[in-house]
This record gives sequence, C-alpha cells and structure tokens, in this order.
Amino acid sequence: MYPWFSRRSSFRHEMDRLRREMDDLVSLFTPRRPWSGPLWREMQLFPLLNVAEKADSFVVTAEIPGMKTDDLEIKFEGDTLTLKGERKPEEAGEDVSYHRRERAVGAFQRSLTLPAKVDSERVSAIYRNGVLTITLEKEKSAVPKQITVKPE
Amino acid sequence: MSNQEVQLSEKQNEPAETVELTREGLYFTPAVDIYETPNELVVLADMPGVRVEDLDIDLKDDTLSIIGKVPDPEQAECFLLNEYRTGSYFRSFRLTDAVDQGRISAALADGVLKLKLPKAAKAVPRKIPISGG
Repeated sequence: MYPWFSRRSSFRHEMDRLRREMDDLVSLFTPRRPWSGPLWREMQLFPLLNVAEKADSFVVTAEIPGMKTDDLEIKFEGDTLTLKGERKPEEAGEDVSYHRRERAVGAFQRSLTLPAKVDSERVSAIYRNGVLTITLEKEKSAVPKQITVKPE
Repeated sequence: MSNQEVQLSEKQNEPAETVELTREGLYFTPAVDIYETPNELVVLADMPGVRVEDLDIDLKDDTLSIIGKVPDPEQAECFLLNEYRTGSYFRSFRLTDAVDQGRISAALADGVLKLKLPKAAKAVPRKIPISGG
C-alpha cells in the first residue's frame, strides 16, 4: 500500500543520516539530558559486552578491534571482573592528512559483577580477530546439580 | 588512566544500498579512518570477528567494496547481558583515477583491515623546478 514507506529508498536513508548528524550537532551545544537515548550511548560505554551464562561458566565477549594484548588489562577480584585498556591511534607518521576519522581511540574501563561465585584461578582470556573472549568457570558449589527423581 | 574517554562505538546498522538485497542476515557499516600520505591513501576499517578467509574485497567499475562475513555465533544458553549484536560488514568506496587500482594491497590483523591504495603516478605531487631566466 505504501511502497515508499516499506522500502528504504536512498533518499530516506540520506534523510536518516542527516537527522542523526543534526542530533549529534545539537547535542554538542545542549546540556546532557539523561535517559534521552540508549543507556550505553549516554554513558559512552566502551567496549560493549555480551555475557552468556552456561551451565558451568560465564563467557564475556567484547569487540575491541586493533588492540595489542599488552594494552589490555583484565582483573578479577571478589566477584567483579574489570576490563581496562587503551586503544591507541594508528601511528600514521607525519605528512598525513585525514579524510575520515570514525574509529574510536582512548582509554576505557568497564567492570562487571557476576551473579555466581567464580573460581578466580580458572579465568582465561583470548583475543582473536579483534574480539576479546573471557571465560570464567563457576565454582563447584555454584554449578547447578541435576537431581533426578526416582520413582518409588 | 587518561581523562580522554573513548567515543562510543555504536555499530551503525545501515543497510548498504549497493549490497545485493538477496543477502541474508545483518550487515553493519564498519567505522573507518582514511588518511592520505604523499604516496598513498590508507583505509583502516574496524571489522571485529572477521577472519581472513571470510573477507572479500572487490574492485569493480571503480567501486571498491569490502565484505566481511562473521560466522553465526553459537547459541548461548542464556544472555545475562547483550549489548552488541554480531553480523557481517559491508562498505564500499568509489575510487578516482588518482588511485593506481592495480597495486591495491590489503592486510587484516586483530579485526582491523588496512587497505593501501597507492596513488597513480600522475597524482603523486611532484616539485617542478623552475629555472631562472
């Protein structure tokens, strides 16, 4: 019925982009209003995390492309996982002019409290293809135990 | 820790117009840096999760497209926190005559694609000596 609405025309696409850029521009000159956007956007969270719970472990993943593992610091204390790091700008050398700079650089830190006891000796982290994966094994007592009911 | 906070890393989910619409799945526009040195243009694109074998770089009709496929994640039993989504990446650039299309090189490391686009000989700035009369 409204084909122009259901299909994203390039004009619409451009208009969306324009509106977003205007919003960004306006937000530079207006004081921050909390809750006017997604939480992570207002709080400038970086990196974004996905946390999956498995039967005997938690798996935390974050997309942090272009890091050196030396610039990543992962700590586990009590039941809190802290992820710290700094994304350094590419050393482009002198005599360089930038046409676009969209990639974020700078220091970041995020902490996360896990809802079950974790064995701090068995926390491992892998950085592969720009994705950090931290696996935290649960303590034995926190692993759910299957109890089978026997018929009488 | 320095005071400079990282800018947000919002993945822009803009369906790319030139990608064939038959493609299934979610496509993101990777964030890029483009800079120019006297001899080349360098494009850096953030494509976390893309392996070398899943990366496609096409050059057709002066349009350079980068497509990075991200394999579907294994289904987690339960997400306690799900702040980002995963998907593939697509972005294309129009090249001008200033780029020597035969000598483009690409490298992928730690989820960052680095494309080097050497300038064609005529686009490299050359100092022209002026002889005094």
